[in-house]
Order: sequence, then C-alpha cells, then structure tokens
Amino acid sequence: MVTTRSHLKTDAVWDALAGVLDPEIPAVSVVDMGMILGVEVTDDEVTVTVLPTFTGCPAIPIIKSDVTAAVRSVAGVDKVRVETTFSPPWTPERITADGRRKLKDFGLAPPTGEGPVLIAQIGLPMSARCPFCGGSDTHLENAFGPTPCRSLYYCDTCRNPFEQFKTV
Amino acid sequence: MSRALATLVTALADDELVLGHRHSEWTGYAPHIEEDVAFSSIAQDEVGHAAALYALAGKILGDEPDHLAFGRQADEYRNALLCERPNGDWAYTLARHWVYDTADDVRLESMEGSSNEELAALTTKMRREERYHLIHAEMWLKRIARGPIEGRNKLIHALEEVLLDSSGLFEPLPEEDTALTEGWVTASSQELAARFLARTNAWLDEVGIPIGPHSIAGERAEFVASSSGDLIEEAGPSLDEAHTSKGGGGRSGRHSPDFTELWDVMTKTYREHPGARW
Repeated sequence: MVTTRSHLKTDAVWDALAGVLDPEIPAVSVVDMGMILGVEVTDDEVTVTVLPTFTGCPAIPIIKSDVTAAVRSVAGVDKVRVETTFSPPWTPERITADGRRKLKDFGLAPPTGEGPVLIAQIGLPMSARCPFCGGSDTHLENAFGPTPCRSLYYCDTCRNPFEQFKTV
Repeated sequence: MSRALATLVTALADDELVLGHRHSEWTGYAPHIEEDVAFSSIAQDEVGHAAALYALAGKILGDEPDHLAFGRQADEYRNALLCERPNGDWAYTLARHWVYDTADDVRLESMEGSSNEELAALTTKMRREERYHLIHAEMWLKRIARGPIEGRNKLIHALEEVLLDSSGLFEPLPEEDTALTEGWVTASSQELAARFLARTNAWLDEVGIPIGPHSIAGERAEFVASSSGDLIEEAGPSLDEAHTSKGGGGRSGRHSPDFTELWDVMTKTYREHPGARW
C-alpha cells in the first residue's frame, strides 16, 4: 500500500512540476524543457533533481525556489529537496515535442537538430527556421543574445528579427 | 576530499572569473553593438562557469562560493596573468579571446575524463557552451586575417604578445603530481601545452597568419662567429623557452599590478558590504 501511495504522490509531484514555468521563457514548463532529471519520493521527503540548461543561467535560483514551492503544495508533502546536477549535461533533445511547439509559438526557434548535436560537428547554425512565418530564408545576426541560451537571427522573408535557443 | 583538488578547481575558476570580468568591461563600449552583446554574453558564461566551479571547490573546502570569488586577498588568486591583462585595443581583446578559448578547450577536454565525477560532468557541460566562444573568436580572427593590412598587422602584433603570455595558462600547480596520480586531470600541464601549441600553430597556418611560437623562436635565431670565423646560425631560444618568457607566476599567486586594480574593482562591493544579498 505504501508503494501505491508513493506512486500517487510521484504522479502528483510531476503534475505540479508541469506547472512550473521557465522564468525566462514563461511559455514552457521545466518539464517541457526536459529540465527534470528525476523525482524521488520517500515517506517524509521529495527530492527533485534539476538539470540546468546553462551552467551560468541566472534563473537557476528562481527555478529552484519555484520548484520547491510547487512541490510543497502537493498534498502529503512536507519536506522538499531540490538538487541540481550537470550529469548528464542538459542537451536540446531533452525538450519535448510539445515543448518545441510551445517555444515556436512563443516566438523562439527551437534548437537546431533533434538529437544531442554538437556545434563543433555541425558548425554554428547560420540559419534557423523563422518561428513567425516558418521561412528558412534567414541569417544569423549574432551567436549571442540577451540571455546565455539564445542566438539572434533575422528572417529575410517576413523581415522579423527572432531568437533561437542555442544548440548546446 | 582533498585540498589539492580544491586548488585545481579554484585555479580554473579564477581564470574564468578574471577573464569574464575583463570581457564585461566591454559592456557598453564595444566597437559594434552586436559585439557589445557578444562580449557581455561571453562574460556572463565565464562568470557562470566560475560560480559553478567555486561551488564545487566550496563543497570540498566547506566555504561559500561568493567568499571564494570575492573574499580572498589578491595574492590568493591562481589565475594566469594572461587573464588579468587589460583589454587594450580590439585586436588584443580578440587575440586573447582566441588564445584563451583554444587553451580552455584543450584543458576542458582533458578534464572530461576526470576521476572526480562532478568535475567531469561540469567540464563536459562547460565545454559545450565554450564552443560558441571559440567559434566566435575564430570567426573574428579569420575576418581580420583576410581584411585590410592595418587590422591584420595589429592582430599579428597582438597575437605575438598574447602567445608569449600563453604559457602562464599551462603553468603547473604545485599539486599537479597529486592531480595526475588521483586522475582528476588526464594529462600533465606540459602535455596540454604541447597540444595547445600544435593546435594554434596548425590553425594560424591554415588561416594564413604568419606567426606562431615556432616563428617566434625562428626569428630570434642569431648569427655568431664560429672559431673558424664563419658565421653560423645559433638556434634562438627553444620553442618552450621563447614561449615561457612572460606570463608565469599566476598559479602561485604572483600577479601583475594590473591585477591589483582589477581585484580592487571586482571585490569592492563584497568587501564594503559583507554578507550582502541581492
């Protein structure tokens, strides 16, 4: 019976995490972004392991506190521990299909490629599909952008600047 | 865990923090708006890497990452002198950016297989992000190398200066033997320096920039009279000697006056408002 109860609690924790939005991209949740490595539920404690998308992401403390608050609101949870790890490294293929769609709807092009591509192998993506018009006649303006995780592009079809989540 | 491991991680963090600080000095001043964004973002990455490394060192030492970053005396920092040199002009900034990020790639690659799992994971993650820096630096060097002669000459001059300092990045820490025995690093500083030289020489040849540690040594060959009166060429300083003529001392806390000034600015808020949170 304990096992069933802890399964139920685990599901409820995941549901709560699905409501924790990325503070810098409030269209996607930490689950959509594949930032939750695991949830461990014991009788008196819930441990959530978070994979930061970027080492120096300034949103990490906010994400940790939002995750803590959301999990604590789950019925029957008293103690919450949120840990971060870089093992395995977060890579773009962790973003769910739903997450990629939400990024695009938000106006942020999802990372190039579907797998754990390395830009050392594919080179810097010199163009990206425009999230606004879907066009591929675009060019890289700057590999760096307003946050560590974004690059700047310009769409030569609809003439909109846009950003792409970096391919790290 | 060991203090020697903390020293290794702290030296790496100090390089990233100090160079990150220098990069951040371009915020608002870079010669091009996109480069203002780029250098600010690279600075943020480097300082972020430093924060993660200080957190790891802090865990070993039982110390706070902020205290390690800002609460030490200037002679307790282990960064290479190259990282503390003032930004100088745009050519110097780019030359150092390229040299540092090439050296960093060589160094991080050797730590991805570290026996310390946390260090291995962190350096693997860092290296994926650092690739953007290296691509950015290479793009600029290629652009200038193929551009007008004035910029090209400035770049060559800057590279000569930076390369002379670069050996400071591979200056062994006193604890290097322990680091190798324990498998925290998978290659000695000497081996890393050799890989760095091979890579930088090959790349500079490829883009047609006529400089490299080999040519620095070559240019310094002198002609002296032999006992028979013939002029013979006496080899200049060996590649290593020519290469280590400057830039050492940082790994044991001996810094240049430029660092004192940087340290004063960088740690001022922390020193004046102990324990402040924001």
